[in-house]
Amino acid sequence: MKNRLRNLVAICALISGGMSQATFAETFSEAFAKAKANGLAQFSYNGSLFTTQTAEEASNKTYGPFPVTVKGYAGTKTNSVSYSGQIARHILHDSLKKLASKGDASAMMNYFGGSDTNLKIIAPASKDGFPIKQKTVNDVSKGKNLSGKTYKGVISAWPGEMTGPEVLEFMIKKAAQSKGGFDVSTGYNYPQLISKFAMGAVFYNQAVDNYLDEKLGADNKPNSKPYKDGAPYTGKEHVWDEAFGYWGAAAHSLKLSATENYDVAKMKNLGAADANGDGVIDLKSEMNFAHAYYASSFDKGGKTNYFETVTQAFLDGRQLITAANGKDLTRSQRAKLVRLADTIGTNWQKVIAESVFKYAGSVYKDIDKLKDLLDSNGDTTKAFATYAKHWGELKGFAMALQSGKEDLGETAEYMNREIGYGPVLLNTSQVSGLDSSGNYIKDESVSMDVYQLNMLKIQKLMVEKFDVKARSNNQMNQMAALAEKLGGSDSAEND
Amino acid sequence: MIDFLSNIFEHFSDPRKRVFLGYIFLSIVISILWLLKTKRLSFKQALKYIFNGKVLLSTSSKSDIKLFLINRVFVLFVSPLLVTQLAIATLIYHFLKSLDWLDVGMFSDTPKSFIIFSFTAFIFILDDFTKFIIHRWMHKWPILWSLHKVHHSATTLTPLTIYRTHPLEGVIFTLRGSFTQGISISTFVFFFGNNVDLITIIGVNIFVFCFNVAGANLRHSHIGIQYWKWLEYILISPAQHQLHHSVAQEHYDKNFGATLAIWDWIFGSLNHSENTETLSLGVRNNEILAPHNLYTLYIMPITEIFVIIQHKMKYLSEFFKQKLIKIKYETKE
Repeated sequence: MKNRLRNLVAICALISGGMSQATFAETFSEAFAKAKANGLAQFSYNGSLFTTQTAEEASNKTYGPFPVTVKGYAGTKTNSVSYSGQIARHILHDSLKKLASKGDASAMMNYFGGSDTNLKIIAPASKDGFPIKQKTVNDVSKGKNLSGKTYKGVISAWPGEMTGPEVLEFMIKKAAQSKGGFDVSTGYNYPQLISKFAMGAVFYNQAVDNYLDEKLGADNKPNSKPYKDGAPYTGKEHVWDEAFGYWGAAAHSLKLSATENYDVAKMKNLGAADANGDGVIDLKSEMNFAHAYYASSFDKGGKTNYFETVTQAFLDGRQLITAANGKDLTRSQRAKLVRLADTIGTNWQKVIAESVFKYAGSVYKDIDKLKDLLDSNGDTTKAFATYAKHWGELKGFAMALQSGKEDLGETAEYMNREIGYGPVLLNTSQVSGLDSSGNYIKDESVSMDVYQLNMLKIQKLMVEKFDVKARSNNQMNQMAALAEKLGGSDSAEND
Repeated sequence: MIDFLSNIFEHFSDPRKRVFLGYIFLSIVISILWLLKTKRLSFKQALKYIFNGKVLLSTSSKSDIKLFLINRVFVLFVSPLLVTQLAIATLIYHFLKSLDWLDVGMFSDTPKSFIIFSFTAFIFILDDFTKFIIHRWMHKWPILWSLHKVHHSATTLTPLTIYRTHPLEGVIFTLRGSFTQGISISTFVFFFGNNVDLITIIGVNIFVFCFNVAGANLRHSHIGIQYWKWLEYILISPAQHQLHHSVAQEHYDKNFGATLAIWDWIFGSLNHSENTETLSLGVRNNEILAPHNLYTLYIMPITEIFVIIQHKMKYLSEFFKQKLIKIKYETKE
């Protein structure tokens, strides 16, 4: 009997020990990311494409320079990469966000609609330990604006049945009328609303709905012709570069870790940002902007790999186009490019969905604080401002999510209904529409408790529809995660 | 259809399920070792003993498979309708939050490792206890016995016999699972905050994993592994559970436990294992006539329940009639 049991225990120990050694990942990309983090492998996984890299390719991780492949090019340029127009728009956006709390409508409109004068770069501007090479927008690219590239569809998430550019202009005007860009009576924080929505309506929309969509067609901007007469780049090269520019990653960013990329965007790590070592940061190639920055913020949590996945797909695509050497892309080359574009599109969308998830969680927590203060008759001024700021980010990202290639349909409707036109205010009212002269109309709303529950629904929606994995500020939460781990309770087992 | 097939496949590929192929394989290995040591069989004889056609291909075993497959369809349609552990957890969590004398995260300073261990152990013990108590009711209450009889009508036992379950009984089991999980999750998250986690091996609660690796599948089999007497006070051995399936009078209502024998010990229903080779399994002949007929297995329990309820109603109405007459009589006086 003793021997019998000893044997049994030994076997169990052996097997359980062996099995616990194996680490399981939920998805392939997660598994690859883990292996890579452990230094076990040098490969990348792009959702649909699996590429192993040679050491040589791994060292060549910079987006550009790429040679000129246009047949019969007569100019002197040796580099075919160009996306300074997109960088200029990133700068216009960053500067506009800064201005949105300053109350000057005409200054804001200069950065939104463009200006004949040479605009100063308000952000990102030099600071101690992080000098910026360019001082004016024209130093980067001339004659650019945001309004002309804003998504033209009707924005149903915002009251008033306005198109994308009209919504942004409306917000700019309202921002100028409110103190520091914050309207206490409605809970609107305009700098956040303008910035988060613009990133979606301009950058995301232009890239995934234009450049990575119809412009990848065989007859649209062919690779056998220059993009325009005399240009040093082919049609497809430039289309791809422009999309990359909107993504906002620095050219050398694949050499950096998620945390380093995050710090570059936050202007905290000169060494990581200054790729050519000249001591100043060239905004054209050494800075991380917009959604690329948000991707790095999620990736540094270790659960996701959005930044690298998207940026690598851009680099792979550019290498593919360059390799075609100025000839039209073959059917299989174009199919591969479309697959890469698809990887970029889905992961970019996930980055925005992660942001919606995160700020829905922030709003949830903010309501908890507000409720506590109301219970104890405390001063809610500061807590309300924080709540409104996070709500602005939530709303802006939710609107951005709807500016992509496909119509989100029911998902969008559900999201807009649960979030509403405005945050639920302390007297349980909420903006419900606009009157004919553009003033906000308020109406009775759901209670704070119900609104909090709506935030959980939003988080759940992001998980179900977009499969977000980073899940910052997860409120839905601990309990759901545990339930998932316990593996459901439905069983018809008779022990 | 794809849902149906993947659901079946999942039962054998998901380590959270009892009949996960890895556990089945280990159960076979354990059986071989047991037979080599105690019965002094050769390896070949042991294999022959385990893969006994009379057991695995019996009418009883075939009906187990039919029930398993048909029940999957029920589960696919019914389980989305049932209340989930998350709904229960949310409810309890908000109830606790509404109590003034309790605070969210009151004990969140407790060392993380302690919290995680407690949660894992708590949910395992609570789960096992509720299984025991429900199982006990299944035997003691006539209505529930009508359902549970389906499981006991098996005349040979194989690992798949755990799915020889009436769908209504399955609903009860699912709700039980929801409640235990809901209670454990909500109270732990409420008191200990975000540090609550489950210790797992390949995604399974470590205790459940150990139980399954140690040959849990042999409970429903013809391999009568016995433990030491002292261990059988703590853990139910396969032979003890096989005894639970015996038709013999002296084995009635014994060994209800799933993993732990402690509950049976406390409630006085513990019976130590015996040599199980001569046991006759099933329910008494007068209770079920054709035990492996699908009609008997699915419809009979329902009609039986109706009869019981009718009977009770009759009794109740008779009872109230008598009372009424009595009252009338008394008021007359």
